[in-house]
Amino acid sequence: MPLFELHRILQAYAGRTVLTIDAWQVPEGKIVGLCGPNGSGKSTLLRLLGFVERPVRGTIHYQGRPAEPYADAVRGRVVLLPQASYMLRRTVYKNVAYGLRIGRVRCDIRQRVGESLGLVGLDPDAFAQRPWFALSGGEARRVALAARLVLRPRVLLLDEPTASVDSASAQMIQAAALHAHRQWGTCLIVTSHDHHWLQDTCDETVHLFQGRILGRGDFTLVFGPWQPGENRRLAAPLGRDQWLTLDPPPAGAAESDIAALDARHLTLHALTDPLPPGTAVVEGTITALALGKTSGQISVSLTVGATPFTAYLPPEMAATGHFTPGNKARLAYSPDAVRWV
Amino acid sequence: MDFILQGVIQALRLLVGGDPETYSAVAATVKVSSMAMAASLLMGIPLGFCLGHFDFPGKRQARLVVDTLLSLPTVFIGLMVYAFLSRQGPMGQMGLLFTLPGVAIGQTILALPVVIALTATAVESMDAELRTSLLSLGASRAQLLAGSLWEARHGILAAGVTAYGRVMTEVGISMMVGGNIKWHTRTITTAIALETSKGMFAMGIALGLVLLLIAFGANAAVSFLRRK
Repeated sequence: MPLFELHRILQAYAGRTVLTIDAWQVPEGKIVGLCGPNGSGKSTLLRLLGFVERPVRGTIHYQGRPAEPYADAVRGRVVLLPQASYMLRRTVYKNVAYGLRIGRVRCDIRQRVGESLGLVGLDPDAFAQRPWFALSGGEARRVALAARLVLRPRVLLLDEPTASVDSASAQMIQAAALHAHRQWGTCLIVTSHDHHWLQDTCDETVHLFQGRILGRGDFTLVFGPWQPGENRRLAAPLGRDQWLTLDPPPAGAAESDIAALDARHLTLHALTDPLPPGTAVVEGTITALALGKTSGQISVSLTVGATPFTAYLPPEMAATGHFTPGNKARLAYSPDAVRWV
Repeated sequence: MDFILQGVIQALRLLVGGDPETYSAVAATVKVSSMAMAASLLMGIPLGFCLGHFDFPGKRQARLVVDTLLSLPTVFIGLMVYAFLSRQGPMGQMGLLFTLPGVAIGQTILALPVVIALTATAVESMDAELRTSLLSLGASRAQLLAGSLWEARHGILAAGVTAYGRVMTEVGISMMVGGNIKWHTRTITTAIALETSKGMFAMGIALGLVLLLIAFGANAAVSFLRRK
């Protein structure tokens, strides 16, 4: 049974639609990454999954049953760490213990609070009695996470958990979230702009754009303006002498249309590799490599002009040594495997 | 300048010597302001919280009315309460005119808009993420309200102190509804007005000092609670 099932969801703020999802499922016990540019609906989706707001339309099933804010089935079990986490105006101890107290959880609260603070790398003896205003940004973020971890939730929703914190805090936050996943089977749903971290950590990533789910995996978005190219195709300039040429959408493309290229349909080639005639390619510079957690594939970031592309590299190709950061490479794409959004 | 200095010295003598007339006015003030504050806080905090927390049709109009009532002149409140409590008035049979509870009714009307408006402002200015945080930590509806109220406690305390200051220092209501009756409804402010008009600066200054002392005590208590 899926953990979450979303049916015909629509969310709007002040009459403006910000999220539309016809159907989507999240499997139990997984780590799911949500990526996409600002305003793509990632935070809204997390707020809906965290049952802190109701959708304008549609239903969300949690463990097979329709659920909504304040429902007993989700209170204290599905927890959200918002991007701007609020510290209650009280001590660190009382902040972390709050969820246990209101949920009347039968346990040794002191011990559980100490354990949670330890998980996020904060010494309980040094921090427990500190007031809320005596914490740095990174410490406050870790305390907020400890307040969620203390509940040992079934689902932990993390909205940009490592944004605006230093690398040490970011590592501790990531380690604590992964500990919850391993130790208690907590399902993690994480939004992040750190593409490599998502790639490294998540069982699957879901790409959102303009309030819609583009699909699973990595997508590269290419923005217009589109110009008429050869053979009635459309072309977008990416850099010096580099053009991305695509088949136009059936209805005809507007200048502002955006093409989404699925990483699964892109292949990398060394500059010396022979390619069949007529293969559509662009040439760019490799900027980073990351190892996919479940696929074992290597994710390659390649920049063409100012546009960053993501493609997968089978491990045997990585051994050739052609695809290291700084090297030039060619990216072949199938023009008809593009989605217009 | 001499008469002011003499006034201060005599004032200290009156206070240290436990002058019964001075302390009668102090007791009346403390009694009447306590009644007024208890009533205005009991009604004002829930009303102010609702005004700041919930969205409902007519909210902006309600806020406009409350903000307008902030500038109610004390003599006008005194006049209206007098009219209601006087023998011909609708509440005349209750016999509250020229009594401390009568004055307390007027002072409650004075303090209520202050408590409502400042509580609503304190609740409105709370971080928008508070609701999200409380909900995501498993709060029920009642726990969400209680948690929000507790988080706004500093602003609500400030509302109480501001209203207390307004109640303690008003003259119009105490004079018109209380009648400034010696040993009975004479409060600190009405006594100061009367004694000054008689040229008795010492008692006026003594009572003024007590008023300042009470204000200091209230603010010190709030400052202590804020640190909690």
